[in-house]
Amino acid sequence: MTTTTNTNNSVAPVSGENPAPAVCGSEQGKGAPIVRIRNVYKFYDQLRALNNVSTDICSGEKVVIIGPSGSGKSTLLRSINRLEVIDRGEIIVDGKNVNDPNEDINLIRQNLGMVFQGFNLFPHKTVLQNLTLAPTHLKGMKKEEAEEMALKLLEKVNISEKAHVYPGMLSGGQQQRVAIARALAMNPKIMLFDEPTSALDPEMIGEVLNVMENLAREGMTMIVVSHEMGFAREVADRVLFMDKGEILEEGPPEHFYENPQHPRLIQFLSQIL
Amino acid sequence: MQTTKEKLRLPTPRIEVTDGANIPDPSDKRLVTAWSLAITLALLALFSIIVLRPAPYWDILNFVKDGVIVTFQLTFLGIGIAIPIGLITGLGRLSKNRVINMIASFYVEVVRGIPLLVQLCFIYYGVGRFFIIPDMLAAAFAMGFCYGAYMGEIFRAGIDAIDKGQIEASRSLGFNRFQTMRLIVLPLAWRTILPPVGNESIALLKDTSLVSILAMTSILQRGKEYVSSNMSPFEAYGLVALLYLIITLILSKGVSIMEAKLNYYDNDNEYK
Repeated sequence: MTTTTNTNNSVAPVSGENPAPAVCGSEQGKGAPIVRIRNVYKFYDQLRALNNVSTDICSGEKVVIIGPSGSGKSTLLRSINRLEVIDRGEIIVDGKNVNDPNEDINLIRQNLGMVFQGFNLFPHKTVLQNLTLAPTHLKGMKKEEAEEMALKLLEKVNISEKAHVYPGMLSGGQQQRVAIARALAMNPKIMLFDEPTSALDPEMIGEVLNVMENLAREGMTMIVVSHEMGFAREVADRVLFMDKGEILEEGPPEHFYENPQHPRLIQFLSQIL
Repeated sequence: MQTTKEKLRLPTPRIEVTDGANIPDPSDKRLVTAWSLAITLALLALFSIIVLRPAPYWDILNFVKDGVIVTFQLTFLGIGIAIPIGLITGLGRLSKNRVINMIASFYVEVVRGIPLLVQLCFIYYGVGRFFIIPDMLAAAFAMGFCYGAYMGEIFRAGIDAIDKGQIEASRSLGFNRFQTMRLIVLPLAWRTILPPVGNESIALLKDTSLVSILAMTSILQRGKEYVSSNMSPFEAYGLVALLYLIITLILSKGVSIMEAKLNYYDNDNEYK
């Protein structure tokens, strides 16, 4: 996996109601911002699923988003690759506005690997075919080349022996590891994880988190919606706490263990820790 | 184990259609089933009457056999027309575009509201006055046009039943809507769709008997011709009925076998 240095720094400054503090850039000892989220709103009828959310994700940064269910954390993650369409604001990924009709969202998505709570492997394709489908169709990669790469990725997630079985034969933990490999097969710059371990039995959570930790160590930019505070402490550069569609508190993981401020956060942490 | 295992399983709703033939359950491995009993008795009856009373029956069989060929030609052409129409209609009914959705729904409403026999007459005689097309094609188009509406509902239900997570996974990889439909949704939906589509195809085969009123030489039409010259309606129509039964029984088994083949990835074995 190659770490990306943001090639496009010429993103026009967004006129915002409350400009987000600069969290990225060399002054902060971090990479350039690769995802910019500016004053984002998302409404479901009367409900404000996202209520003026602004933040930057730096290249190479690992961000964990926590919060109670219905807090908007998954909605925010899914807005980044436009699985949810936001109502106001801007989300800019690698210099491209994902909601700009002139941008090809399919090209933007190729840079955003997505891992779902429910795995969503293609059941009619073998594990190997799940990995090679997108590179062969979207990048014009040759079948042999794609398979070689896919086998390497499967090795990386410790599941190469299952290359030729169908996903229905695998355990949840195995499926999720394959799903991570499938997302990596497109060689994305950013990986999005939407509660990747929430559907897993306790004994399978570890194997998936292991794979994610390895990925983090390689320098991948990762945005993870998860309740795994142990994982956050281990790999996160920054944790965002969301409630009712807003980012209430953010900081390094230690902050959440040692010095949480917001009463909602303290209450939430007391429930999950 | 329970929770994950349940999550892995795709919903496989069976779409029940009441007419058509009864598709045997592929997982039913018993020797004596309604299907095996029916096919055995039907074949036995056919052979015994031909062997024991060749005088009318062998003659009738020889007389109607070109009707069998016409029936099959008409059926395959009709299905060949109905399936693409059905797919387009099903996608149209799922479309968020109001106009497309309305057109597809309108077509389904109209076709389902008019008896097949009336549609056949209208298309064959009525529309056929303005276009010079071969009889076979006109009849096949009429059947396909009508059955396309029925199949549209099957395609709609089958595609709609696909887990939305599959579509999201595909779109997240960068596939566009068309690629997602072609590579993921349709192959998955096909398994749900196949039994009712097979069922409708068999119903279509049976309904080809209606074209006898268009003076096309289906099995029934040949039977009628035989009766008009030989005055033996019991024998002739009895044999015609037997032929239709045997054909539909064989086809329904064929659909059942195809259905079982499509389950290749749906392995219920405990994972290792």
